[in-house]
Amino acid sequence: MLARIAHELYWLGRNLSRAEHTARMLDGVFQADVQARSEEAGVTLSWGSLLAMMGGETDDSGVPHRDQVLRSLTLDADNPASVVACIGRAREGARTVRDVISQEMWESINTTNLELREGDLSERLRVGPYSVYQYVKERSALFWGLTRRTMLRDEAYSFLQAGGRLESADMMLRMLRVALAASGGGRDDGHALSLLQAVGGMQAYRRAVPGPPNAGPVVRFLLFERAYPDSVAASVDLLEQSLNRADDNPRNAEPVLRLLRLSADLEFRRRAEEDTATAPRLAEICEQVQAELGKVDRDVHDRYFAGAPAAA
Amino acid sequence: MILREPHVYRPQPGVFDEVFAPGGVPREYAEALVAELTKLGPAELAGAGRRRDAIFVQQGITFDATGEDGPVKDRPFPLDLVPRILPSHEWDHIKRGLAQRIRALNHFVDDVYHAREIVHEGIVPWQLIVSRPNFARQMHGIRPPGGVYCHVAGCDLVRDADGSWRVLEDNVRTPSGISYVLENRTAMTRLVPQLFNRYRVRRVDHYPQLLLAALRAVAPAAEGEATVVVWTPGSMNSAYFEHSFLARQMGVELVEASDLVVRDDVLYMRTTSGLKRVHAVYRRLDDDFIDPLEFRPDSLLGVPGLMRAYRSGSVALANAVGTGVADDKAIYHYVPEMIRFYLGEEPILQNVKTFLLGDPEQCRYALERMDQLVFKPTGESGGKGVFIGPSTPADELEGLRDVILRQPEKWIAQEVVKLSTVPTAGLDGTLAPRHVDLRPFAVFGEKIKIVPGGLTRVAMNEGSMIVNSSRGGGSKDTWVLDDGAGTDGDQASPDEVVNVPQSLPGLRYASWTGQAQQQQQTRAGE
Repeated sequence: MLARIAHELYWLGRNLSRAEHTARMLDGVFQADVQARSEEAGVTLSWGSLLAMMGGETDDSGVPHRDQVLRSLTLDADNPASVVACIGRAREGARTVRDVISQEMWESINTTNLELREGDLSERLRVGPYSVYQYVKERSALFWGLTRRTMLRDEAYSFLQAGGRLESADMMLRMLRVALAASGGGRDDGHALSLLQAVGGMQAYRRAVPGPPNAGPVVRFLLFERAYPDSVAASVDLLEQSLNRADDNPRNAEPVLRLLRLSADLEFRRRAEEDTATAPRLAEICEQVQAELGKVDRDVHDRYFAGAPAAA
Repeated sequence: MILREPHVYRPQPGVFDEVFAPGGVPREYAEALVAELTKLGPAELAGAGRRRDAIFVQQGITFDATGEDGPVKDRPFPLDLVPRILPSHEWDHIKRGLAQRIRALNHFVDDVYHAREIVHEGIVPWQLIVSRPNFARQMHGIRPPGGVYCHVAGCDLVRDADGSWRVLEDNVRTPSGISYVLENRTAMTRLVPQLFNRYRVRRVDHYPQLLLAALRAVAPAAEGEATVVVWTPGSMNSAYFEHSFLARQMGVELVEASDLVVRDDVLYMRTTSGLKRVHAVYRRLDDDFIDPLEFRPDSLLGVPGLMRAYRSGSVALANAVGTGVADDKAIYHYVPEMIRFYLGEEPILQNVKTFLLGDPEQCRYALERMDQLVFKPTGESGGKGVFIGPSTPADELEGLRDVILRQPEKWIAQEVVKLSTVPTAGLDGTLAPRHVDLRPFAVFGEKIKIVPGGLTRVAMNEGSMIVNSSRGGGSKDTWVLDDGAGTDGDQASPDEVVNVPQSLPGLRYASWTGQAQQQQQTRAGE
């Protein structure tokens, strides 16, 4: 297929996935923040760290206000990291590839974009941000559901999936690294409920892991648990499968080889770090995995999009 | 607009209003709440109420009730959006009082089925104990792990006209309502987050973890290996929502009788890969139904042989069998004595003055004052059979007198407590005082832990003191305030450290096709 189209699809997946993860994190942090921190707050996200991880800058006082962060990361079209900006870019990308994706997929993303631009979002955000984030989550699920149901499993599908999964893994690692850094690294037994809330993984965790949601087990779950669809390991596997299908000669493809190695490496680390890993050690693993995924991203651009105009 | 002129909200004379002091001035801890409610206004509050109903119906947070026109199915759980605030010193008092009371009740259950010291001391008559419908002979001589019987307890508290707290009822069988406490809080943070401004409200969402830890602590299994289940009578039970909520929140199986089987004094559940041993059961059905071999033989909801397994110590039940003897309405009268006898302490929370009608002296006294007292049948729960003297017509009272005299030992009488009031939103969003009670929830594993607050139930009709949700009562989110100053809401707390790893890469973006090229594209196609 055309390198330019593959590039658009890959970034369509990335933008949508980024919007959803951002919405989930904002919702999770907001709900936690409205109430008092528990005595054993443990590993949490804060407004400041959320803003920083999304590349935003705090004002002079250095202490960001809740409403300011909510607004900036949700509605501010001038902030490229905001939810509306991500959805806007996804919509533009989808428009470019309307002939490749299904009509239903296009309509779902286009409607989402319209609603976010024209609805009275600012007011909704003021009275209760939950409804805004719920909308983004539902529309995102609708898009991916329609994709599975209506899109031909061709190369185009593979690049769309690959983008979505790479972004999921990257956002998850970003969140884990920021949360682990904020925990100070000393105690690693604090609760990490807020991390599960911020990705929507609370119930999955409780069904999968016996024992309380302490930081160590939660971070390991979000990193290594392949049975949880948003874990880093699950994303890496699906990313590898997508590229494997798309590539003419996967045995010879750097991104595929790199992902196969990373996938095996994650499994080895899971076994080695059973119950013993401290917060600094987990932070180190996250850093290494994220760096490796950065290389995968570069490999993908080099191998598949190099011919595309203005590819990064 | 009622709140813009606070004098329009009139606390009832002779009743303690928890938000407005007499004269209509907000109490200090409620000032910020009143300010936010004023800013919100009745119209927006009513709007939030409609969103709440829609969300609750969508999420299936409903229950069945008996309304004026007969049974109502799947009503959205009635949450009033005006929270009830408990300052931390009030809560500390309640918490200490409850823990004390539950310790004493637990001692009592142990004593009843073992040494019976409290009987030998002549404090509680044995005849009264064995005649209680929930006394379980089968429990004789059984001592569960750690000597804990009342793993889950909920006491109903009310506030009298002077603001003092009193225990109205104990519940150490299967108190329900905790799921609504958690769901109410979630709904409040979503629907009216602005009300939380300037408050630091203590969280409640760790309850499932407390319960799971307590069940694991009493399970006869090696650490980390206990299999815990929640046992429900079935999906037709009115509290099924709560059963499935707790199972989901704890991440354990929700089982029915047909899933369970006893083999060789060990309890198992049937799974796709054969029988799997169960170590601890949080059961949500009464003693009578759990084992047809030892209790009601006609029970279809029970597991034959369960008591045998329980006696052998291979499985823990929560709550233990036979705890109902302690929350009987006639035994209630003796709880202050129990606290003195078992703990050597003075009760921190007082009872409501109660008359046992089985005692001829007390019966005569109470029947002379029928129009001033509340009469309750001892074996019932959920407000069934209760009549309130002052609001019952005289001729009906005469009829009830005969009913009571036929079986006086089945009745108690209590002084009328003027329940405190909290502003409550009507359909149009205007506020009016409504009576409330409070049911806090305690979990007894290795220690007694109590979730901050509990379920506040509110009578939705003016002047009514019937708060039971099965009879049209509503509920409120209950806020226990954290000590220390509240934040401004939109301010980050000062201790927040923004500490982002140095090596965190910036977000990547696809490079855009240059603007110039876009312009050419538009022109080229014209």
